[in-house]
Amino acid sequence: MSQNVKVVQRASSSVRDKLYLPAIYDGMKITFKHFFKNLSDINAVDVLRYPEEQPQDITDRYRGLHRLTHRPDDSIACVACFMCATACPSNCMFIEAQEREDGHDEKMPKSFSIDTLECIFCGYCVEACPCDAIRMDTGIFSLTGNKREDFVLDKEQLLANKGAFGEVCSCARD
Amino acid sequence: MSTASIIVAISSFALGTLLALMTIPVLVWLERRTAGLVQDRLGPNRTNIFGFRLGGVVQSFADVVKLVLKEEYYPSHIKSGKWLFMLAPIITFVAALLAFMVIPFADTLIIGDEHLRVQPLPIDFGVFWYLAVSSIGVIGVIFGGWLSHNKYSLLGAARAASMVVSYELPLGLSILAFIITYDTVDFNAMVTSQSELLFGFLPAWGIFMQPIASIILIITLFAETNRNPFTVAEGESEIVAGFMTEYSAMKFAMYFMAEYIAMNTASAVIITMIFGGYQLPYISTQMMLDNFTTLAICVMIAAPIVVTLFIKWMQKNNRVRPGMAQDKGREFETKFFTIAFIVMTIAIEFILLYLAFFSENLLAQSIYVTVIQIATFVVKLMIFNMFFILIRWTLPRFRYDQVQKLGWYYLLPLALLNIFVTALVVVGVSL
Repeated sequence: MSQNVKVVQRASSSVRDKLYLPAIYDGMKITFKHFFKNLSDINAVDVLRYPEEQPQDITDRYRGLHRLTHRPDDSIACVACFMCATACPSNCMFIEAQEREDGHDEKMPKSFSIDTLECIFCGYCVEACPCDAIRMDTGIFSLTGNKREDFVLDKEQLLANKGAFGEVCSCARD
Repeated sequence: MSTASIIVAISSFALGTLLALMTIPVLVWLERRTAGLVQDRLGPNRTNIFGFRLGGVVQSFADVVKLVLKEEYYPSHIKSGKWLFMLAPIITFVAALLAFMVIPFADTLIIGDEHLRVQPLPIDFGVFWYLAVSSIGVIGVIFGGWLSHNKYSLLGAARAASMVVSYELPLGLSILAFIITYDTVDFNAMVTSQSELLFGFLPAWGIFMQPIASIILIITLFAETNRNPFTVAEGESEIVAGFMTEYSAMKFAMYFMAEYIAMNTASAVIITMIFGGYQLPYISTQMMLDNFTTLAICVMIAAPIVVTLFIKWMQKNNRVRPGMAQDKGREFETKFFTIAFIVMTIAIEFILLYLAFFSENLLAQSIYVTVIQIATFVVKLMIFNMFFILIRWTLPRFRYDQVQKLGWYYLLPLALLNIFVTALVVVGVSL
């Protein structure tokens, strides 16, 4: 057994490594290189200057802010089946149903609001919806407001959000 | 006490206070911007007053406003010693501030037959003052950790205290080596003796005369200031924020500012002891006064070049990216500062022209030399502060046992050996 023992030299056993100061010098070289390179041309630093420069690389799978889709004739696609609210793990969707008058279906939401402060943007509502009525394809990634009420999106706001990636209408039955 | 001595005393005290206090916002900003640039990002640069960003220095003042307006919160479990709890950060802050006050900013100003020190506290035992006062800072840390009634804080304070005690010994011994070398305990005399030449071509700076003691001094001062890589007083992974865990708002800010003043003081001590203080290499004060015309011409040539380079850099970098539409007053800011710098340079040129060729006013000349020395000091101070900051982004933190091992096993014997050799050499030279 003892013949098979392989003695591996430690990587940092040379005098240069044991002195530490040369290693500090090597590290300082890298630090200084980055520092002076960036100091000489600050605009070349590869960062996104956010409020002025908006991200251009949002994919269509990105889960942005929610929206409610329309049917081809501009009526609301939602039939107030409560599937999304049932699937929602954080219970942030508040739906009130009413009878539908426009002849498409039996029900439609009277009010439909999402508390985005509670929402965890998991996308379960989108998965659960049988009519393709709620989507998160707006591409809106920043949500700001001055008071808590600003973050509760109601039906009108959700309907006003536009899809960012082509598909405008609900692809469910009309 | 003549009028001149009072004016010099007051102005050097004001200068010292300004250098100690006004460098805090600058250093906080510098640290954050430097961190950004080292890590290929930008750091705070958005805050502005009427479009004036100053590269983002305004951010520090915004932070101050925020900290002042924050709620003063006392943990409810602190039943007794609340006043001491509040006093602790003040002790640290004041100790760091007072330790800075013995640094000479320029050589002794001779007005008539009076020798006036350009030193906030005009004392000639500056080294002892520094050693005595800077060590008090750790008492604030111990009080803070102890009175927080919190195991993490107590542990952090104990670690900080034991580290400072272990590094105080090599620090004292390396300073002792400098005292033997320069044969004085006066910071100003130390700087003066560094204006000589070593072997005829090197400036007799401490770093060349006592390289080992210099390295020990730098390492121990890093430890004394609780900065990276010696941040054992606080540790996210083991003891939360260490001794300052329970502190909030302005009390926290006191500790925070004390750290920056301590860093500034350490830089000042390092440059005073081993990098020639306010002296330019190869040029002593007497030489500057004797060849004032040459000095004035040199400054007159150098100032426009430096200012031009700076303006070029500013015009290149203080603008938005070409792809971005909004400017938000940056162009105006650049223009304003360009004109301001040009006007300032022209004023300096005219004053120098007058002093060098048309006036034989010796007092004005010596005051101008003093101003040049103060400027040299400030530039060196800032370079060394930058070194402190860049080290932080270079070296990883030490583990606690590594810190103690470095202090007791390596630095202390090395410092003792160094002092032995120094004493032998000094005795040998004097024989």
